[in-house]
Amino acid sequence: MLIDSILLVDDESLFHLVFEDACNLLDITLQLITVASADETEKLCKKWIDGEMKKPDCVFVDLNIVGSSVDGIELVHKINTTYGNGTVIGIISSSTDKKEIDKAIDAGAQFWIVKSDDIEPRLAQFKRDYEGYKNKTIDHFKVYN
Amino acid sequence: MKIDPKTLEELIALAKDKNVYLEGNVLKTIDPDPNDPQLTQYLQEALSRDQSHRRKRLDITRHTQAQNTELLKTKKKLELALTEAQDAKSIAEQDLTLLQKKSQFKLINRVANISLFIIVSISIAATLVYSIALAKGMYVDNISSTWNSLMGILLSNAFSVLATTMGIKYASDKSDKE
Repeated sequence: MLIDSILLVDDESLFHLVFEDACNLLDITLQLITVASADETEKLCKKWIDGEMKKPDCVFVDLNIVGSSVDGIELVHKINTTYGNGTVIGIISSSTDKKEIDKAIDAGAQFWIVKSDDIEPRLAQFKRDYEGYKNKTIDHFKVYN
Repeated sequence: MKIDPKTLEELIALAKDKNVYLEGNVLKTIDPDPNDPQLTQYLQEALSRDQSHRRKRLDITRHTQAQNTELLKTKKKLELALTEAQDAKSIAEQDLTLLQKKSQFKLINRVANISLFIIVSISIAATLVYSIALAKGMYVDNISSTWNSLMGILLSNAFSVLATTMGIKYASDKSDKE
């Protein structure tokens, strides 16, 4: 089943291409929006609230967003609290730091995908679990490693 | 999304003549028709090509990303090495300046010491000759005025040497503090 739209927040533009191609090869989504900073994301969020833009069904946030006023975990918290929940949201990062994972859980993230050279198997697994996140049948935090 | 027969014909002709196929996510929005083998074949071919291009691009992008990460790591290491080299250079420059100053002071001290030694030796020699002449009751009128002048010159030279040495030391200390 295709996810209607995905938002990727990551400062590394090369990763945008990797993610886009992986999503296309795995038939994950038809609409992928990529932004490079938390500040750009907040502008998009305001458009969701104003109705100018449809809210994405799923948001992937990089842990360390260089050049942003907030980091990935704070952004997840903001999207969950300020801009309305219902969106499946998680962290995508090369880090597997336990403290950061705990902070992500507290902020309301539902999953953590480990970024690596071979991201396709993790995304394939996530795609299989997506319905569970959307319908809240998966109520525990999952790390895709 | 449905493709009408005329459009399909045009797409197939485009693929045959110019090897141009539809690509990207639009392919996934086209409703396949099992009763239309031409459409099915076209979509299969277009999807296969699209996936092949995506796969190639993904491999290249991944490879570039890995190289980028390595370059960033190397850049950090080089920046660290540069900072360390600059610190080492700064320390070496300070040590060299200190060494140069020490050498200069040694030389100045040596020159001053030799000058004073000469001055004192001449003073002692002249005073000895004058004393011997006085003791033996010789005619010392010429010697006394010469001795007076000589002592005056030697004393003023001795003070000059001392003053110059002190002045150089003071000027060097002042430039250090600045």
